[in-house]
Amino acid sequence: MKNIFKYLILILTIGFFVVSCHDELDQSPIDPDSFTEEDVFANASQAKGALAKLYASLALTGQQGPAGQPDISDIDEGFSQFSRMLFNLNEITTDHAVVGWGDPGLPDLHGMYWSSSNDFTEAMYVRLAQEISFSNSFIANAASLAEAEVQTYIAEARFLRAYAYYNQMDLYGSVPLVTEISTELPEQNTRLEIFNFIESELLEIESILPPSNEYGRVDQVAAWALLSRLYLNSEVWTGTPRYNDCVTYSGNVINSSYSINTNDANGNGTAYDELFLADNDTNGAQNEFIFALNFDGTNSQTYGGTTFLVHASIGGSMNANDFGVNGGWGGLRTTKNLVNQFAVNINDLNAALGTISDWGLVGDATLNSWDGPDMEMYQTGTNQYALYADLTAGEMKFRFNEDWGNNYGDNGADGSLEPGGANIPIANPGTYYITLDLDNLTYSAQPFTSDKRGMFHSDGQNLEIEDIPPFEDGYAVTKFRNVDSNGNAGSDSGGNFTDTDLPLIRLAEIYLNYAEASLRGGGGDLNLATSKINELRERAYGSTSGNINSSDLDLDFVLDERSKELYWEGQRRTDLVRYGYFTSSGFLWPFKGDSPGGTSVGEYRNLFPIPANQLSINPNLTQNEGY
Amino acid sequence: MKTTFNSVLYILFLVPAFMFAQTNVSGIVTEQSTSLPLPGVNVIIKGANTGTSTDFDGNYQISVNNGDVLVFSYIGFVTQEITYLGQSPINVQLAEDATQLNEIVVTGYGSVRKEDLTGSADLIKAEDFNQGPIVSAQQLIQGKVAGVSVTSGGGAPGEGQNIVIRGLGSLSLTSSPLIVVDGVPLNDGGVGGSRNPLNLINPNDIESMVVLKDASATAIYGSRAANGVIMITTKKGKDREFRFNFNSSIVISNPTDKVNVLNADEFRTLVNATGDANAISLLGDANTDWQDLIYVNDVGVNNALSALGNAWGIPMRASLGYSNQGGILKGDQFKRTTASLNLSPSLLNDHLKIEFNTRGMYTENTFANRGAIGSAVAYDPTQSVFSSGGDYYSWLDIYNLAPRNPMSELKYTDDTAEVRRIITNAKFDYKIQGFEDLTATINVGLDKSNSHGRTLRSIEIEDGNIDFNGSRNTYRQEATNKLFDAYLTYQKEFNEKHNLNVVAGYSFQKFEFDNYSYDSEREEDGNDFEFIDKSKNVLLSYFGRLNYGFEGKYLLTATLRADASSKLNPDDQWGIFPSAALAWNIHKEDFMDNSIFNELKLRVGYGEVGNVNGLGDYLFLTRYTGSQSTANYQFGSSFLQTYRPEPVNSNLRWEIGRTINLGIDYSLLNSRISGSVNVYKKETQDLIASATVDPFTNFGNRIDSNIGDMENKGVEFALNVIPFKTEDFEWSLNYNIAFNDNKITKLPFDQPVGGISGGVGNNIQIHTEGEAPYSFLVYQQVYDSQGAPIEGVFVDRNGDNIINDDDRYIKEDPYADILMGLSSNISYKNWDFSIVTRANFGNYAYDNVASSSAYLRRATDNNILTNLHSDYLTTGFENLTENNLLSDHYIQEASFFKIDNITIGYTLKNIMDKTNIRIYGSFQNVATITDYDGLDPEITGGIDNNFYPRPRTAVFGINVDF
Repeated sequence: MKNIFKYLILILTIGFFVVSCHDELDQSPIDPDSFTEEDVFANASQAKGALAKLYASLALTGQQGPAGQPDISDIDEGFSQFSRMLFNLNEITTDHAVVGWGDPGLPDLHGMYWSSSNDFTEAMYVRLAQEISFSNSFIANAASLAEAEVQTYIAEARFLRAYAYYNQMDLYGSVPLVTEISTELPEQNTRLEIFNFIESELLEIESILPPSNEYGRVDQVAAWALLSRLYLNSEVWTGTPRYNDCVTYSGNVINSSYSINTNDANGNGTAYDELFLADNDTNGAQNEFIFALNFDGTNSQTYGGTTFLVHASIGGSMNANDFGVNGGWGGLRTTKNLVNQFAVNINDLNAALGTISDWGLVGDATLNSWDGPDMEMYQTGTNQYALYADLTAGEMKFRFNEDWGNNYGDNGADGSLEPGGANIPIANPGTYYITLDLDNLTYSAQPFTSDKRGMFHSDGQNLEIEDIPPFEDGYAVTKFRNVDSNGNAGSDSGGNFTDTDLPLIRLAEIYLNYAEASLRGGGGDLNLATSKINELRERAYGSTSGNINSSDLDLDFVLDERSKELYWEGQRRTDLVRYGYFTSSGFLWPFKGDSPGGTSVGEYRNLFPIPANQLSINPNLTQNEGY
Repeated sequence: MKTTFNSVLYILFLVPAFMFAQTNVSGIVTEQSTSLPLPGVNVIIKGANTGTSTDFDGNYQISVNNGDVLVFSYIGFVTQEITYLGQSPINVQLAEDATQLNEIVVTGYGSVRKEDLTGSADLIKAEDFNQGPIVSAQQLIQGKVAGVSVTSGGGAPGEGQNIVIRGLGSLSLTSSPLIVVDGVPLNDGGVGGSRNPLNLINPNDIESMVVLKDASATAIYGSRAANGVIMITTKKGKDREFRFNFNSSIVISNPTDKVNVLNADEFRTLVNATGDANAISLLGDANTDWQDLIYVNDVGVNNALSALGNAWGIPMRASLGYSNQGGILKGDQFKRTTASLNLSPSLLNDHLKIEFNTRGMYTENTFANRGAIGSAVAYDPTQSVFSSGGDYYSWLDIYNLAPRNPMSELKYTDDTAEVRRIITNAKFDYKIQGFEDLTATINVGLDKSNSHGRTLRSIEIEDGNIDFNGSRNTYRQEATNKLFDAYLTYQKEFNEKHNLNVVAGYSFQKFEFDNYSYDSEREEDGNDFEFIDKSKNVLLSYFGRLNYGFEGKYLLTATLRADASSKLNPDDQWGIFPSAALAWNIHKEDFMDNSIFNELKLRVGYGEVGNVNGLGDYLFLTRYTGSQSTANYQFGSSFLQTYRPEPVNSNLRWEIGRTINLGIDYSLLNSRISGSVNVYKKETQDLIASATVDPFTNFGNRIDSNIGDMENKGVEFALNVIPFKTEDFEWSLNYNIAFNDNKITKLPFDQPVGGISGGVGNNIQIHTEGEAPYSFLVYQQVYDSQGAPIEGVFVDRNGDNIINDDDRYIKEDPYADILMGLSSNISYKNWDFSIVTRANFGNYAYDNVASSSAYLRRATDNNILTNLHSDYLTTGFENLTENNLLSDHYIQEASFFKIDNITIGYTLKNIMDKTNIRIYGSFQNVATITDYDGLDPEITGGIDNNFYPRPRTAVFGINVDF
């Protein structure tokens, strides 16, 4: 009896243990970095971290910087960053850039022979679709929160979703329109349906988004700016021109609180390069950034973004320290097409001055030294002469008709001329704008300021590209740097990761949208367009010397201006498609179509293919024509 | 009354003694092979009910009559009968039972006589283990069991071993067998800083290993046993006089082979002929073979001491082991200390048997920087190790991503880790008093490992960043596995015909992982970064097994296991896994009475097992991962931690393997010939694979899902022959061969796998329906009339005039179609000789070293010089392109025949009072015969890239038994 009792206790004890263990089957994450939906959407301040992910998934590649917990699989994590892929698909495919690396699939992009299994086109598709899924989930979950600021969060998420769809539509055309999280395989929508969705979303959130927001977050103006872009391209994407709407929304942006940065914080003669410095979140550039990706060398690390743009551009004789980083990856260069946009043609400038005269420049600073023939000046008025001249360091004088009988020099270097006066020193070689006033016997010799937006490294580089892989072929681009306005390197003491933020939409672009839409019949004010473009050119030249008249304004001028203002910012392919230049033979660049001189490619390449893997997963999808 | 009773008894005993002239006989029973006394041997008089057993020293004493037959029996030994004809003493030497029919095979929650087995189980005892410089238990059975492939991950000391039983059974999940040590199922993986989780066990401590292959045998372990089970039983204490064993050996390792690269002269000629002025100016004057420099010879030691016997009335065994081996990669070191203790007391008149095992390991690893293996292949052979300034020669000031000087990589990286692991279990078998047929068992176990490691990169290391301040990564990892088993066993024989054994029980296991790592510059200096990773999962099970035997001829085993894993959605977390097997001991039939067969058994079995091993935790839950401090995002002027929703699959369910197995065990001619034949077919259903998903429908583009089916079928044949056996000379042969055919039978979407180096995001392998997993997917190279590949020219297999992904085709797979093992032991008097050989046929490898480093542009790319693989001399390829990388030119047959081991030993018996000494020499990795051009044809996974070469080793040792 006693034994049975003993067994009973034993059995009961074991039985109790067994039953209590069943509760252990309910496990939930114990990792301190792992959270449940309840944690994340507990309140507005927590949800802000989820909102930050929607921004971060365009700037970074995962939850561990620079790499380690990637958002997407099947591609090297560094390559998977959004703006780096945007660069690959929208800049490398054009005259703006070449890349020397042989990573499989990468040379295909500039050569324009990509296939539907290209890793980069696939990763971009996945990255954007994931951004849409993240946003859908955020919008659904945040809806349950009552705090007022959550409405702004949701509107921002809708903006980011619209931005992702904008890119999907631009790159791939017809994609599934998914607005809720569901495991159902989605149907493919037409490009028009995607367009309409983006438009309606932006129009709805336009009034929900605040007039201004924290740095790094979008506001009302961003919605207008994206609408401006959308309408500008509407004719290409939907067949229906919407230039009037583009003018309207560009006008809204122009009249907003955003302003072109004119603060030349590093004092190099232009306020343009400040937009691409390590402190561009504080040096004034931020006033121009409508939507930018925020990078930080210590807190937001990635192998994409501006870290990629800075490192990959450095090679050859360039000194990485000048760019605030520890070394170059020796990959990116540009073609002569872009470089030549900035070339100054002195003959054209001189021809515009007036008629050629017998007054000329002589001296060892001039073309033929002291022996002549002299560099003849142009008459701009009575007794007024001028000349754009390429001079070397040395001395010069003015003389008439190649004869020392009538010559002027400058005694005492006081700017007033004396007959037979002392030689005029020219300290530095360069292009000068020289004037001669015989009424007042004065002159000027100002270095001619050209477009400072052209930022190239040419030392040791060949302008012509014979072969894409060697770094020497093609000028290097020095636009992006990881130094601040005082010349100090960014916050990562290791020199690996940059602080420089990257604008995805900035005010200058909207100026150009306005001008183009006006020229395309959008009903805008061409004088306003001209003055806005001159605003950009004054910043670019550091003076009014590059200003234009409204009569100079035509579509090709605007396209060139876009190229000069916005190169390497991820818009070139879209622009060329809109102009019908991307695939055609009318506009060529080195190695377009994989031919050294450039050649046309099939028009279907205006769109990228739907990735082959996505087609096999989702049988509802149909491949773009031609692939 | 009591006295009276005793008196009666006394008279009853005396009377017969008197009547039949009974006398006392005594003697000593010893083990034939070792001459050691055998305690506990049953000594009975045939036909009578009297008997005794031997004491600790093997002594016995018994009363006999003239003409009585004495029967000496002991489990595992051949029973001897001796007729008493007045001789005294009667000393008996018992020989081990070669038929092994009575061997006890541990089968999980119990054990069974080999004769009564219904499933496919291979028992490998200590004396059959491979010899040599073995530090990992898995190597002990390499080549010994049909259908079991054991492949080391490389040549580093203590390197991990990859075991596959009967072909790959899973895609995403673990395809290694479950390893059970003394009833404690171990964790799947190891902890960081450990080379091989099974290094814990000193091979000297292992008594036997049992490989359970078919599902009817493994099903009792349910979900953890999908890929077979290896049961390790360690040596136990014995109830006898203390004996000691000391084993000491030195291990000499030499590098054997290296990757074929251009030598300095070839490289110089090449650059002079093809490089530009800048490249030519970079050439050095030296002739440096970097691979010669990074590999060294090593001398290591292994020592083991064990004691076995009865201490304070408790049978016990204790052991200590110490190994110190270096790797052939300069700086690699592996030091291991192991200790184990086994206590096996019996209490309450043998009703309560307790078995207590504990073993601990402490390992100190020094990891040489394996980056040097690749750097040595790539580094310019015309440069000296040091530049003229005395610093290591460096390219990094020219090109930030240049290969690093291999010697500086080895010198300035300091990567060490200490690993501790303990496995303890206590098992209580309680035979219920008054109801002795029923035994209650409780087994409580703990398997805990932790590691502490650090990787320091010196400030001296060459780095593109001149401000590089050195770096330090420290980590600790802990894995804990707690086990509680409780089960009842009912064992009963009815009418001497029906044998019944029923087990029913419950098992609970909890696995916890806790990883922490910390990055900083140098010691504790700036740019700090902390990383924590923790998880926990639980496995809860009920199981039952019924064994029924009729007259020992007809055997039935049926098992049922229900498993629940916390990794799965609560709705799908229970899996029920049944099995059944029948066996027929044909040799016991009357009609076999005079046959040559000692054993002839026919078996048929069917079983189902589940698998979620290796599956991530909580995949069915929507989880958010917070960003690390280096991946926060700036809003305003502050940086926010971001939350990312993780890909989720709430529909995950058990992957189920269904196996049918048909087998024959045979033994004939007095067991001179024995072995088995098995035919099997295993279908894995609801295969879990990492599947591409539409990113519009989830939070990523890949997730583990139940998406396919797979099939393995094959035939195994094992043969043991003893061609010669005399008193002085014995020759035995062990041969096994296994054919396996592995095929994915259903997979809706192809899964690219097998990432390769030389570019980004390239995969050389694919999982696709109708083919073997990990099949190579390649372009078909076009060759010129001289047989040299023509660069960039591939066969347009689909005839659409463009070469793209659609022209890739399946060419072979990395897994062998045929595995073969042949080993032999010869003993002559005191000499013993053994040889172990192994062959794989039909396995293919992709030479990634050649594919990524045999093209001309590499030599001078990025304004630096980089060496080329010698395959360039064959191909003359100029560029690295995706198509070149994926060319079938780099897929080669890697079938091989290896002589793994040759051992020669000499034993001095019974010198100085029962002391035996054996002296031996052993050679490991003796020879490889293969057509494969790469370093070693035996590559786990089939992608040959920067493989750590397996050394050739020689071991000289001494084993003293006293």
